[in-house]
Amino acid sequence: MGAVFLKEKEMRLAELTGGIVLLLLGVAIFFFSLELPYMSEYGPGPGFLPRWLSLALVGCSVAVLVGLLRKQKKDESFLKPRTREGVKVLGLIIINFLFLPVLGFSVVLALFTGMTMRAMGRHSWVLCGLTALGVAIGIHLIFIQWLTIPLPEGIVGW
Amino acid sequence: MDLLNNLYMGFSISLTPINILYCLAGCFFGQIVGVLPGIGAPTAVALLLPLTFSLNPTSAIIMFAGIYYGVAYGGTITSVLINVPGESSTVMTCLDGYQMALKGRAGAALSVAVIGSWIAGTFSVVLLMCFAPALAKFALNFGPAEYFGLALMSFGLLTVFGGDEPIKTIISTILGLFLATIGLDVVSGVPRFSFGIPQLLGGFDFIVIICGIFGLAEVFNSIEEPEEGQMIKQKMGLRDLFLTRAEWIASRWAIVRGGIIGFFVGIVPAGGITTASFLAYLGEKRLSRHPERFGNGAIEGVAAPEAANNAASISGFAPLLALGIPGSPTTAVMLAGFMMWGIRPGPLLFQNNPDLVWGLISSKFIGNFILLLMNIFLIPLFVMILRVPYTILMCFIVICAAVGAYTVNNNLFDVWMMVGFGVLGYVMKKLKYPIVPLVLALVLGRLAENSLRQALILSAGSVWVFFTKPISALFMVAAILAYLNPVLRWLWKGLLRGVGTPPELGAN
Repeated sequence: MGAVFLKEKEMRLAELTGGIVLLLLGVAIFFFSLELPYMSEYGPGPGFLPRWLSLALVGCSVAVLVGLLRKQKKDESFLKPRTREGVKVLGLIIINFLFLPVLGFSVVLALFTGMTMRAMGRHSWVLCGLTALGVAIGIHLIFIQWLTIPLPEGIVGW
Repeated sequence: MDLLNNLYMGFSISLTPINILYCLAGCFFGQIVGVLPGIGAPTAVALLLPLTFSLNPTSAIIMFAGIYYGVAYGGTITSVLINVPGESSTVMTCLDGYQMALKGRAGAALSVAVIGSWIAGTFSVVLLMCFAPALAKFALNFGPAEYFGLALMSFGLLTVFGGDEPIKTIISTILGLFLATIGLDVVSGVPRFSFGIPQLLGGFDFIVIICGIFGLAEVFNSIEEPEEGQMIKQKMGLRDLFLTRAEWIASRWAIVRGGIIGFFVGIVPAGGITTASFLAYLGEKRLSRHPERFGNGAIEGVAAPEAANNAASISGFAPLLALGIPGSPTTAVMLAGFMMWGIRPGPLLFQNNPDLVWGLISSKFIGNFILLLMNIFLIPLFVMILRVPYTILMCFIVICAAVGAYTVNNNLFDVWMMVGFGVLGYVMKKLKYPIVPLVLALVLGRLAENSLRQALILSAGSVWVFFTKPISALFMVAAILAYLNPVLRWLWKGLLRGVGTPPELGAN
């Protein structure tokens, strides 16, 4: 019973945060759209649609927030047992992608593959290393050589 | 006669070795994508799209069409064998397909799905051949008011088909429309919401958003909630694939009905293949003299939804080709592809690019035949693919998404945008905000806004322009009814009960 209550509270908090973010976004769009001409010489201007969209967004997010007060209990939680794993992968993506300008696509995506396989799949170091090597060669051959996509090659020159 | 001439021209294009190869590759890849839980047709097409810049558009679109209907075939295998739908369009197949497998009739379930898909798919191509050119001819009369009405109706229908909380569907649509306004305004040349960032002057590229919101977000969602099922261990020989006489009699009309439902749901904007399979299953259950058999291994429960999802995946091309309005996320991604290749789908496509249109339509006959053969002979291979560890698949998706996002404008800013939209898609899914309306609104946003502004300019600012023209009035009324759907349903329920209770906000 306590766990259900906690889950419900957590989900409600997440939905509440989502609703408030949307409300703030709607208000922000409204104010920024005021800088754009609402009408032009011939008809509606560039600010016409954004202004109406912002008002609709504000209205709908208020409806979501009001709806939260009346919502029935749901046995759902925002954070799941494996959410941490997802965040870990996001972290690996961000850390590796920061090195894209320096190391280039082939090397960074190979490193990402090796690290993810090790962290998520608990594969052996040898398998992770070999797969990473395969990925680097594959990216170079498929994307750079065959499809002639000008991916940044970084200091490694690959 | 024209039809036959066009079809002849189409086959002369689609039967060239290179196009057969692309069709085969598309069907094979689609089948794999369908088998693998956690990656869907829009994701697959979005990830491959940037890599096809240099391809001939006809070949590329033949391959993407192969992926689209290949996915509908592939998802069946996991639905039947492990009770996990590889695709949302095969959810209904799980109900009876898995039960049939438990009773030792997995082969029959897979066979009826393949045969049903093939019959309905072929039937749907024939109808598409007749219907799409007529629709294109009709749409030549459309002006800005009609196009705005059509776009508004498509958004409205999403609230009908889009899930339990229409208010969240509407919010998702608004977000998509807002994202479409970012960048230079094409009418006045004024930059909107770009905040001095030069990369935003051209607006968000659709492919970058798609790679993030479908590709990367799907990775996070699949890590969090892996779809795992217990594979049924059953030896399947060629003989097990044959249907008994009773099974064929029970399923033949279900296939026909499923095909008809699928075709018509597919051509409705926002209809989609999942809705088609759902309606076909419910219809079949309602028509059955023994509805209690459904959910316990009724073969009609496999035949009808499978026929419907395949028919819908083919008829879904009618609004895309004839009107330039995508009916589903996958066709929305394909619309982005058309734009990337400099082709504008719509009524004039049939006149300006007949080779592409008829090459694509005729390729569907070939693709369906390829899939029929693949599903008879290659099922063990596709079952083996299920054993690929998800970590490897996940890395593959991230690699394709990163390369795809970079390829659009050759800059790293887009890669970071892709990551940002991946996180947005993940959070939206967790909070039960549907992604599809955002995507459709994003792709149709410019068309909707320009049509709205042009119509208002032509009418000197009078909104009655949308209601005085019969076709646009029809679309507008349909849109209004769709948006009022939750309120109308509540009123109807209240009327039936005698005393109404206030509607829970957002409840469908």
